[in-house]
Amino acid sequence: MSILKNILTAIRGGASEVGEAVVDANAMRILGQEIRDAETAITKAKQSLTSLKASEIKLKREVNSLQQDITDYESKALKALEANNEGLAVEVANRIAELEAEAAEKSAEHASLSVQVDKINILIRSREKTIQKNKRELEKIKTVEQLQKATSTMSTNFAATNASEHRVSAALERVKAKQTNWEDRMEAGEWMTDSSQSDELDSKLKAAGIGAGADTGGASVLERLKAKQAG
Amino acid sequence: MSLNDLAFKLNAHTTDEGTRFDAVVSEDGVLEVFCSNNDEFPINLVKTDTQLLAITPLFSVAEVQPEKLNELNEELLFISPAIPLSSVGRQGDTYILFGAMALNTTFENIIHELEVQAENTLDVLEVIEPLLV
Repeated sequence: MSILKNILTAIRGGASEVGEAVVDANAMRILGQEIRDAETAITKAKQSLTSLKASEIKLKREVNSLQQDITDYESKALKALEANNEGLAVEVANRIAELEAEAAEKSAEHASLSVQVDKINILIRSREKTIQKNKRELEKIKTVEQLQKATSTMSTNFAATNASEHRVSAALERVKAKQTNWEDRMEAGEWMTDSSQSDELDSKLKAAGIGAGADTGGASVLERLKAKQAG
Repeated sequence: MSLNDLAFKLNAHTTDEGTRFDAVVSEDGVLEVFCSNNDEFPINLVKTDTQLLAITPLFSVAEVQPEKLNELNEELLFISPAIPLSSVGRQGDTYILFGAMALNTTFENIIHELEVQAENTLDVLEVIEPLLV
């Protein structure tokens, strides 16, 4: 049974409070054990992989060296033949045959080691997948446990306030009222900024002798009265 | 970042929109965060091995009009995919809004998630309110 199914069963069964097991302790132990086993297996596999890889590299080097010797002896055998020294050429040929046999043996050993190295790499990858899978499963359980913890405080509050109906509506209204109040204050702030900017503009216009309020001193009134008297 | 460090940073932070936070870590290790743009529905933050979970308890089953329970469940399933960064769910008898972040989420992104979740809470409750008692 998958962990998620276990969790659903537990929740349906009423395990919703903190401390109540979401999945039974045995399943948790098995998962934990599987993770530890897989981690141990990986450590061991990596150790043997290191020594196998070292042997593989050593064999490869030996095969290369043998092939180098073979090539070397082949040219020497040809030189012996050119010098009509059949006896020496046969001797060299025998040596070449020995070296070829040795190289073939070591090549086979090298190939077999390569296969083993590949197998161990596959094993490591597969164990790592198991670990990741099990860790994801454990994460599901831990998530539900944390959810229980995060919800429990509030659930207690609900229980305390459930006596009053419309708890959500009332809370929503309070939040909206606060937000409206905040928006009003923002608007008022903007209005203040606007009007002070407008006052500033009026002062500038007045100073420049432009606009209705540009010249309202006694002198202009006297001028107006004099004009009226003359008329 | 531990939940205590996060609480410390949240308490000292104001967003560009003027949102402030009151953050307290409870004894059982839950970080309760009140956002100034919605201080009636706190967001509870908890950590697992890989995630930082932000959970807002919305209402209990007892607060749903009994004959409207199926309708409510269906509506929540419909609106859940449309809610940015949060999902709705149920934990025991409590309906919740929740978001999950990776543990290496930056402080700025956590702030964003909290602001959005506080707004989402109001949006969801406005839709669901007619079905509550």
